Amino acid sequence: MAANDNELWWASESFWKKTTIWTTVVMLFVLVGLTLDTVSQIQVGGKRVLAYSTINNRVDYKFDETLKRQVVVIGQEEPLFGKKLTEQEAEALVDHGKLTMHAKNCMDCHTILGNGAYYAPDLTKAWLDPFWGSRGVREDLMVAFIKDPSDKVHNSLGRRMPKLGVTDEEAHAVVAYLKWMSTIDTNGFPNNFKPIDQEN
Amino acid sequence: MIEPVKLADFFLTFLSAASVILFGAVYALLFAYAKVSKMPRLMPLAYSAYAVLFASVITLAKVTNLFGSAFWISLVVVMLVGYFLAPHAIWHLCVGTHAASHHNNPAVDKSVQTPTPPNFGSANTFHQPCKEKAT
Amino acid sequence: MTAIRALNSANLNGGQKLAVKYFTVALALLGAQILFGMLAATQFVMPGFLYGVIDFSINRMVHINALVVWLLFGFIGAVYWMLEEEAGAPTVGLKLGNIIFYVFTATVLVVVAVYLLVQVGPGEMSTQWLITEGREYTEAPRWADIGIVVCVLAFFYNVAATFFKGKAAKGGISGIGGVLLLDLVALAGIYLLGMWYTTNVTLDQYWWWWVIHMWVEATWEVMVGCMMAYALMNVLGTSRKIVTTWLYLEVFMMLGSGILGIGHHYFWIGTPEYWLSIGGFFSALEPLPLVAMVVHAVYDSGVHKSRNNNHPAMGWLIAQAFGNFLGAGVWGFIHTLPQINLYTHGTQWSASHGHFAFYGAYATINIAFFYMATQKLRGDVWMSGNLFGNWKWKWAMVLLNLGMLGMIMGMLVAGFAQSQIERAIGGATWTAFFAAQEHPWFVQGMYWRLAFGWMFAAGYVLLVWDMLTIGKRETRAVQSHDDAALEAK
Repeated sequence: MAANDNELWWASESFWKKTTIWTTVVMLFVLVGLTLDTVSQIQVGGKRVLAYSTINNRVDYKFDETLKRQVVVIGQEEPLFGKKLTEQEAEALVDHGKLTMHAKNCMDCHTILGNGAYYAPDLTKAWLDPFWGSRGVREDLMVAFIKDPSDKVHNSLGRRMPKLGVTDEEAHAVVAYLKWMSTIDTNGFPNNFKPIDQEN
Repeated sequence: MIEPVKLADFFLTFLSAASVILFGAVYALLFAYAKVSKMPRLMPLAYSAYAVLFASVITLAKVTNLFGSAFWISLVVVMLVGYFLAPHAIWHLCVGTHAASHHNNPAVDKSVQTPTPPNFGSANTFHQPCKEKAT
Repeated sequence: MTAIRALNSANLNGGQKLAVKYFTVALALLGAQILFGMLAATQFVMPGFLYGVIDFSINRMVHINALVVWLLFGFIGAVYWMLEEEAGAPTVGLKLGNIIFYVFTATVLVVVAVYLLVQVGPGEMSTQWLITEGREYTEAPRWADIGIVVCVLAFFYNVAATFFKGKAAKGGISGIGGVLLLDLVALAGIYLLGMWYTTNVTLDQYWWWWVIHMWVEATWEVMVGCMMAYALMNVLGTSRKIVTTWLYLEVFMMLGSGILGIGHHYFWIGTPEYWLSIGGFFSALEPLPLVAMVVHAVYDSGVHKSRNNNHPAMGWLIAQAFGNFLGAGVWGFIHTLPQINLYTHGTQWSASHGHFAFYGAYATINIAFFYMATQKLRGDVWMSGNLFGNWKWKWAMVLLNLGMLGMIMGMLVAGFAQSQIERAIGGATWTAFFAAQEHPWFVQGMYWRLAFGWMFAAGYVLLVWDMLTIGKRETRAVQSHDDAALEAK
């Protein structure tokens, strides 16, 4: 396109073409830089996304006075299903749980870290939900619920989770995955959450 | 880093945030209309729309607790300045882009911009007023 | 009024014939999206409905997957529609393009059949490959992902080869063509980022948002910019030079604010705190391009009288401008700052915004293109305001727009209650979730959504009927620029 005498440089096609290309390139460059930093910070075993073997310990979610929000607190040793796992064993179990969550389309009713569908509760802190009553019965209740929720109490709406053919092994794995997910530092989401009493 | 909105302020948050964008549009609309139809007496109306926008941004900043940190204050400033200047800037661009094309010889311009090879039709094929009677 | 014009593909060029096939499937998939959306909406108020047969999760999955695919089919169709005129050459590899169309459509049908009949699988990688990947919007199993990538590559070959062939004859690629080509590369490349599995859910969602955000708030927006540019030249006769300059400007503003706007998805998934600042900042700037466009629209309608030869298409283009502004701009900004998003993220607020933005920004412009195609199929009839039988397109538009607005308001009221009862007061426990779901505001919001869903569905039926009949008895042809100029003398 030949330059035109009447054309103002700041209103010309070529000026905006260049501006657009450079802006896009710069923004993408910044995003890639941020991505490199973020990806290094969210590796499993870091400060934000904890090691899979954290499921060997008690997990709590408490208000932090300095940060002015709730934070994950890792407590005493409290192995899931009473069996302490190595990092590899824990990873295998959590991985199986996550694969099961994908295979049953959990995210098309529930939200996970707030993302998904809005028909059923958020699962980010499901492990800590007071719905399970007490620490002593939680694990067994969760496994039983996931395997066949269709005959369990849910709410007064009549809305129920269907039986999705989850095996005993898969249900245990899902519980491990949910426990591990509750250890992720989500910048205080959900806010004002009241976790299950785990002291006794 | 952030201080969440208080429960009592939820409605005000949604209302002020919506007002920011809506009055941004009303301001832009009145500004452009006053210019395009050469009615400068509409301009005060445009700026009163901006005044509402200004008040909405301040309200939003208050209920979402933005005044607590320098970073969030900078966002407030960027919004106030950005939404004020955008219609001016875009107006100049409209005049600039259209002026350049109107000064061109339309026939030459068209042959450069939209060559029309035989059989493939052209992007500028039709253009006609609606009210024309049926033939 | 006796003459009846048939829908005749002889009126079209090669790329446009293929485009019509894509448009047809897109329109059918819109019907599927509405059907499964209605089933899911019914389950919100009658939880026993189809329980254990087609559960909510399945309806919802088909609903949102149909959305993604029908919009994509509409975009691909739109690109084929403008391809030969933009490139100045007949479509290269049209036969391949046709084969790919049938492969793509068959893939979609098989995926949906598996969703409906198999539904879930065991918690193993085989399920990821064959049944579902279980990630919102990108549930399509891996085999289909690969199939989609192959189809998109073949589509890209058609488009790129045609532009380069035209380049030889024309001495350059048009601005719209250049933006379109780069956009298609980005659109396809980004999809690849969603095609892997990791146990780390935070990393998983980090890349998943690259796909979703970079599609919906970047590459799709640019695609719509190209479609809008072409449509304005065609329907309104705006000059190419102006349209191209403004396309660049628009892309500059959209990507300048939108690329880092991805930060608003990284508030709560385990990613570092600095995303709260980045996401909040750039999201607050994302409505700026929309406000800026208001000025341009007023300028244009003042300087050039808004005369056009295709009223239904023009109507839907105007609906796009309003829908995009309200749905993406206002509805997005209302809950995008992290200070409030902490309570609205993942509630009916998101659903309200999602419906408005997808419909306003994307569904509308696809429908405008359907009308442009119908016009040409009838042999370039004049689709004016006093077109024979014009009540159908007008009523379809009224029912679809009012139906959508009603659904959006229903979800808005529900979301308002939910964000307070479940999130702020109850802290998002399960008991709090259901306390909100049982609240009268929420329940009534869901009933309103269902009722307006019926209105929307009625609008769709009317739209399809109109598509099949519009211009059938119209005898007046559109005139070219040159004819109009001759008559004036």
